[in-house]
Amino acid sequence: MIVSTPMRRLSLVLLGLLLAGCASSAPTPVPAPRAAGAPNPAPAREVLPNGVVLITQEHRAADVVAVQVWMQIGGRDEQGDELGLTHYLEHMLFKGTPTRPPGSIDRLIEGLGGTSNAFTGYDFTHYDIVVPAAHVRSALEVLADIAVNAAFVPEELEAEKKVVYEEMNLTEDDPEKFLARRLSEVAYRGHPYGRPILGTRELVKALDRDRLGAYYKKYYVPRNMVVVVVGPVTREQVRSLVAATFGRLSSPPSSRPAAAAVPPLTGGRRDDVSRPEQQAYLGLAWQAAATTVASEDIPAVDLLTYILGDGPSSRLNQAVREAKGLVQSIEATYVTRALSGLVSVTARLAPANLDAAEAAIFDVVRRVRAEGVSESERQRAIVTAESFYAFDIETAEGLAKSYGQAETTWTLQDELRYLERLRQVTAAQIQAAARKYLGDDAVARVRFLPKGAR
Amino acid sequence: MRAGCRLVAALLATALVVAPRLAPGQGPADDVRAARLDNGLTVVVRENPVAPVVAIALLVRMGSRWETADSAGISNFTHALMVKGTTRRGGGELAEAVAGLGGKISAAGDVDYSGIQATALARFWRELLALTAELALQPRLAPEEVDRERDWLLSRVQRRRDSAPSRAFDELYAAVYRTHPYALPSLGTRESLGRIDHAALVKWYRAFYRPERMTLAVSGQVSSAEVIAEARRLFGEAPGAALPPDPALTPPRTAGQRVVVDAPAQQTQILVGGLAPSLEHDDHAAVKVLSTILGGGMAGRLFVELRDRSALAYTAAAYYDPVREPGLLVLYLGTAPPNSARAEQALLREVQKVRDVPVPVDELARAKGYLLGRYAMDRRTNERLAWHLAFNEVQGVGRAYPERFRRRVEAVTAADVQRVARAYLTTLTTVVLGPPASR
Repeated sequence: MIVSTPMRRLSLVLLGLLLAGCASSAPTPVPAPRAAGAPNPAPAREVLPNGVVLITQEHRAADVVAVQVWMQIGGRDEQGDELGLTHYLEHMLFKGTPTRPPGSIDRLIEGLGGTSNAFTGYDFTHYDIVVPAAHVRSALEVLADIAVNAAFVPEELEAEKKVVYEEMNLTEDDPEKFLARRLSEVAYRGHPYGRPILGTRELVKALDRDRLGAYYKKYYVPRNMVVVVVGPVTREQVRSLVAATFGRLSSPPSSRPAAAAVPPLTGGRRDDVSRPEQQAYLGLAWQAAATTVASEDIPAVDLLTYILGDGPSSRLNQAVREAKGLVQSIEATYVTRALSGLVSVTARLAPANLDAAEAAIFDVVRRVRAEGVSESERQRAIVTAESFYAFDIETAEGLAKSYGQAETTWTLQDELRYLERLRQVTAAQIQAAARKYLGDDAVARVRFLPKGAR
Repeated sequence: MRAGCRLVAALLATALVVAPRLAPGQGPADDVRAARLDNGLTVVVRENPVAPVVAIALLVRMGSRWETADSAGISNFTHALMVKGTTRRGGGELAEAVAGLGGKISAAGDVDYSGIQATALARFWRELLALTAELALQPRLAPEEVDRERDWLLSRVQRRRDSAPSRAFDELYAAVYRTHPYALPSLGTRESLGRIDHAALVKWYRAFYRPERMTLAVSGQVSSAEVIAEARRLFGEAPGAALPPDPALTPPRTAGQRVVVDAPAQQTQILVGGLAPSLEHDDHAAVKVLSTILGGGMAGRLFVELRDRSALAYTAAAYYDPVREPGLLVLYLGTAPPNSARAEQALLREVQKVRDVPVPVDELARAKGYLLGRYAMDRRTNERLAWHLAFNEVQGVGRAYPERFRRRVEAVTAADVQRVARAYLTTLTTVVLGPPASR
């Protein structure tokens, strides 16, 4: 299993498709005025009597079905002494249940020609299986079993600690991963989003079966589960299989902890790290619109980020790399979590260029704030957004992920309407977003300096 | 394009690659049309209606296979220079034009092939094809760009050296292949990049970018007839000539050795490699199955024994890339330095076991399911479909290869696995890279 923070754009949206309200007892087939010849029908969403949300869609791209479970529980929900438990659970679940001994789940899925994967985010925990469509039942049975019956065999639980320590080492060894993590820690200092999702070595060392089991029982309940099935299977087929598996789970009351508001980055924060690499790294990050905070700004921030730092023709690449030659590479990304979004600019460069590159990045941002963006930049950013979406839906699991992430951090309806909203954003709104979010003094800065430099 | 980074893309994604098996007959050989232009260029098109996108792969028989220690990295360097602009527009304008199609374009050199890959929204397929042709046939190769691209490549060489897994793989390839060109990193070396000048790059481009050496593959929401007609218009004018076949290389001879490299890192990398068959060799499928049994996913032996059971390693996998000359079967561990010695011993015990004891029937079946599932899964996005179509052409195995490979894998027996384990896991080369205290 692997951990990951969802470093992925939110613009996983359906082309020009509207979902017309979601009944709670029956799935809602929606007539689908799809754009550009995509042959798949619309997704249907329903809530089972025990609280499980089911999202399903026929997708006949290949003979492969994606079956995913999204838990409405993530790193942000941990109390201080629970740090790392969500991620540890994610590691332990595929290890087995009373009827599935350690190792048997992996062997089963891989032997079917499929794979399993999981990751822990701050807002959700995600489990997924991809198998040939003939095995959709096996995949659902496995996921429903591990969702409530995980065994936590003591030897397995102890052995996995070393795996998590190694995962910590791996993140620290990889400068790109470590930069993303450090930026997030600095930008969200004092908030759960700023904590390491893997926990700390001390907490993992002290972790025991009772504590993990209690956390699991508390949160792994039907009301916190979202099941997404996308592939060459009919809605009726999926409904009956899900009713016979997830639909039978009993539903104790669940209580997700209240989310704490993210403290603003007023005044900015700086952090320098000495690293073994020969090269320096620079990261700047600003807090921005999120799915539950100023979500109406998300499309404009998304377009702004593309214009600033997506690809060779972006402003940052043209100004800082091509014209001034200050960095080896540079890009901007926008990650939206439920409570806060983060626009990040990251660059790899010679240590001597750190100050000049930072100044050049701020110049680019200031110009956008002062002068705005051109109509052609706006149009190109919209094509880019359409393109990201189109490439995401090439595979069943890509489409399923977009639905699961939307359901757990936003709403499916918002997701389905997103591209349409994005197309209506004006150049003036993009400039307004830059003024609102990308201030000179509300930035987190992280630099990696080669040992010995400075 | 793998940008000259042999194996490394796969390396850090070991435990999570997705891989179901397609039913027979549902492979991407369906809906494929091909044509050979008069000048020798091959065009292959797959119509794929699933999503409104298109992908292009234009591959050329050019790469480290044809390089020497002095010219190492020149194929990749040539491509880095090509994307800086054509006779009609600069690099920035080219990038801008492709971004305007919702796409991207890249070019790089690899081992057996080099080339251009591009994607866009399907409604712009004509524009994308025209830009690809322009980049392939009319690159500017401007002298004033050479130094800057060299600096950029040198920084990538440095970054690759800073990455412990990448560096460990490079050390292994060098130790195993020695004087064979597969020993050379596709990115080149500090020394070779310093020597390659503008004249050498132009000469290299002219020698290799010839229609007879090129395959154009397109996959996406397109009409194959329209694409072939447009390809004929764009590429048909490039002059062809009868080229002599590539000279044969002397096969690599490896003595087997243990190489220890000091590097600052939290992890120790342990690699054990044995020379293995080429893509077209009769034993290729059996070695693929062997590789899967040892290191294919979370149920592979290395993962189960070294990570799950004894927690001696965090990463545990096997790699065996399909290449034209003799390949390399690599067993790989990433481990905590204090566990390094025990992990290496445990790895060698697994090698001994697969040589001594026939693989159980159910494990063999699982490995085949996993291997074929992965192979099918890798041919689902249009970008990968286009790449596979072009790859099978430039490697000379043809469009029927996926189905042939599937049949060969299914025919592999436990006796075959034991036989190839004995044949190819005999003279082993080991690389241990990590902090000095770990050994």
